[in-house]
Amino acid sequence: MAAAFTSSPNRMELMKVRKRLALAEKGHDLLKDKMDALVMELFNTLKTIQKSRATAIEQLRKGYEAVSACMAVMGTFETMQAAEETKKEIQIEISERNIMGIEVPTVEIEETERNALTRGYSLHTTSSHLDTAAREMERAVKLLVELAELEVTALTLARELERTKRRVNALEYILIPRLQGAMNFIMMRLDEMERENFTRLKRIKAILEGRE
Amino acid sequence: MSYKIAVIGDPETVIGFSLAGVSHTHVYRDKNKALGQLEEFLNNREIGLILITHRVVESLGPEFHQVVGKKGLIPLVLKIPDKTGYSPEKDELSDLVRRSVGIEIPVKTEGE
Repeated sequence: MAAAFTSSPNRMELMKVRKRLALAEKGHDLLKDKMDALVMELFNTLKTIQKSRATAIEQLRKGYEAVSACMAVMGTFETMQAAEETKKEIQIEISERNIMGIEVPTVEIEETERNALTRGYSLHTTSSHLDTAAREMERAVKLLVELAELEVTALTLARELERTKRRVNALEYILIPRLQGAMNFIMMRLDEMERENFTRLKRIKAILEGRE
Repeated sequence: MSYKIAVIGDPETVIGFSLAGVSHTHVYRDKNKALGQLEEFLNNREIGLILITHRVVESLGPEFHQVVGKKGLIPLVLKIPDKTGYSPEKDELSDLVRRSVGIEIPVKTEGE
């Protein structure tokens, strides 16, 4: 394995490997810090998601119930007609926010609840169930938009965390051990060469002395 | 920037959201049409949020992830339960969190 990093064991090579190792260790530390920060951020988001999800889904359930009741009272076709006539004016504002170099959305929505008069369907042909249904659904949309922001943020953070973790592990378990192995190999080799040289010199000296 | 919302789901869901004032809607009839419509919503620069019911996501299968995977940050895509309150056992977010953090964190709190 060590051989993969070293073409020839000499001092130049050793310096190169040392430099790479220092860089890899620095990168590893930085990525690990990033990972910790991401985990914190993710946990905070998840905490708010739990609550937001429960309320949004509960409100949505109420909305569906009201719509079903309205369809039962007014008839499916009439309800569809009214839905068709309703003014479609919901607007949301989305901007991007940066958490440690990761783009996450910030969504803002104005008050979605409207007055029965401003919704746009005719009042004298529709039942009050329709107003209830529309009101509940308007509330649900507001909550869902807020939930969407959190969910997308959490998903983005979690994906980034996964990627960072993979990088940290690659450095920690593959690259750094390999470089250390290479460094050891070169150092051993150099020491061995020095010893060889030393004995060679001794031997030559002995031969030279024997001649005299 | 201001955006609009789109909904893909069964007729009742769509009616509900139209009543609330959501402008772009699509009633799910068959897979290919829904996929085409989803792609159109994703490419429409006016739309900032796509709500899609869990049931539709499931019937679209892996193609859903393929199509959605290509998008940037905007539009956001949120899966919602339909009128039966159906949402799958396996939650994408808690799954991903478990994989990336290594511990289970409950995200689902509703009792269904």
